[in-house]
Amino acid sequence: MSWDKIGYEDKLLVWNEIMEAEEYVYTVGVAGEEFFKGLKEKRIVGSKCPKCGKVYVPARLYCEDCFIKTEFINITSKPYIYTYTIIYADENGNKLEKPQVVALVRFENTNGGLLAFVEGEVEIGKEVEILEYKIPLIVRVK
Amino acid sequence: MKSNLYFRRVAVIGAGLTLFRRRLLETPQELAWEASRKALDEAGLDLKDIDCVVIGSAPDAFDGVHMKGEYLAHGSGGIRRMVTRVFVGGATGVMVPITAWYHVASGLCQKVLAVAEEKMSPARPHPQSVFRYIWDPITEKPLNPNLIWIFAMEMHRYMYVNKISKEEIALVSVKNKRNALNNPYAQAAGNITVDDVLKSEILVWPVQLLDTSPVSDGAAAMVIVSEDIARRYTDTPVWIEGVGWALDNTEWTGRELTYPRYLEYAARMAYKMAAIERPSKEIDVIEPYDPFDYKELHHIEGLMIAKRGEAPKLLKEGVFDIDGDIPSSPSGGLLGVGNPIAAAGLMKTISIYWQLKGTAGKMQVKKPVHTGLAQAWGDLMQASTVIVMRN
Ligand SMILES: [Zn+2]
Repeated sequence: MSWDKIGYEDKLLVWNEIMEAEEYVYTVGVAGEEFFKGLKEKRIVGSKCPKCGKVYVPARLYCEDCFIKTEFINITSKPYIYTYTIIYADENGNKLEKPQVVALVRFENTNGGLLAFVEGEVEIGKEVEILEYKIPLIVRVK
Repeated sequence: MKSNLYFRRVAVIGAGLTLFRRRLLETPQELAWEASRKALDEAGLDLKDIDCVVIGSAPDAFDGVHMKGEYLAHGSGGIRRMVTRVFVGGATGVMVPITAWYHVASGLCQKVLAVAEEKMSPARPHPQSVFRYIWDPITEKPLNPNLIWIFAMEMHRYMYVNKISKEEIALVSVKNKRNALNNPYAQAAGNITVDDVLKSEILVWPVQLLDTSPVSDGAAAMVIVSEDIARRYTDTPVWIEGVGWALDNTEWTGRELTYPRYLEYAARMAYKMAAIERPSKEIDVIEPYDPFDYKELHHIEGLMIAKRGEAPKLLKEGVFDIDGDIPSSPSGGLLGVGNPIAAAGLMKTISIYWQLKGTAGKMQVKKPVHTGLAQAWGDLMQASTVIVMRN
């Protein structure tokens, strides 16, 4: 016996509710403050571990391996397309007029990455130019 | 008489706390890291020395980050390590060191980092709203209750059966907020009077604003290790000698609300393990869970440190003061320090650890202490966790 045979919605007692909290207000955190301040000034802020030298993008307050506080730095190395995908429908399943290319952009010699909308001939490994410093980044393939 | 259980000895050798505050700038991961870093520093260990990580947090819905165990693992040193997340509602904070304890007691791990974090601020309009769906959907939910409703009913029943006045209960808030003045991490410390409590805003009668703990963000961490490691890294280890946890009937409307039976079960388990026969004589300092002032009294009775209905009398006599026979919540408790749910319970455990180590600073109780106890409570008012430690 299954529900679709015995369950008639209009014959059941139903309460329709939304779940739990109505909204959330998040803080960007200590490292997030630096990162977003950088974006406003058209800079990519990362952080460097003083012990192992690892560089994180976006900035992180601490090195996940050495577990010590990092130092915030400007990222100057080359941004490139690490991988990408093409979106054909929006979050509600409606077909997009024009497919949207979304790439994971990484910076040479750093850890981490940022999501970006891509203009131009997308290809893995290609260098990009950052057109707009926001979330997501808008980049153009060089 | 000690129970004939077979397990390895387990010690605490380091602990760390963040400030407890409303709307901290730090992300949950950053809070977890800060507490963990301090705990490792106090222990003299580095992250590379840690075998496994135990993470405690209450519902994901508080921080608003789903699968929060995984999310917090980043700031808790869990990457490329064994990670366990535990959750028993408000009882989680003490379940964290208990879980770390059995990782070590079993011989599975030698060095465990135990972390608890909660950020209550993000949920709007109020963190209470994340509890909207813990109720029976047919018989309770239509009234749109919140947790304070049922605490108010429990408080009223406790007062009625034991003939306890609001004045007697308010003394807990006065004591704990005063103790918190000595605690550098505290959010809600202050010199208040019984009158202040009685004149504060009525939330859900008989619960008034100063009967309750505040909304808080914060994190806590502990380093819990085997006997070998403890001896190598410190001359003053604090031993975990008894642990206990229990769940009473989850149907709260059918449960005895006057007396916390869930706690008596958990306490008996911990006392048996720690060979404690007369808790009121053998335990020197306690941190019972106090999100509301009446709960500290309720819990002192459930811990069998006072007879049923007699905790208020002992409180009035000063037994639970910082210079009393059995100082209770010398940290300031949740009422004084704040209440980031899981972190609050671990904060209580850390408070006892620092008392037994003798490093509690201005919070240090006046008398010499040998045996201490921390306790937490939660879920639908029926889950409890107890830890007994000795120096
Ligand atoms: Zn590093």
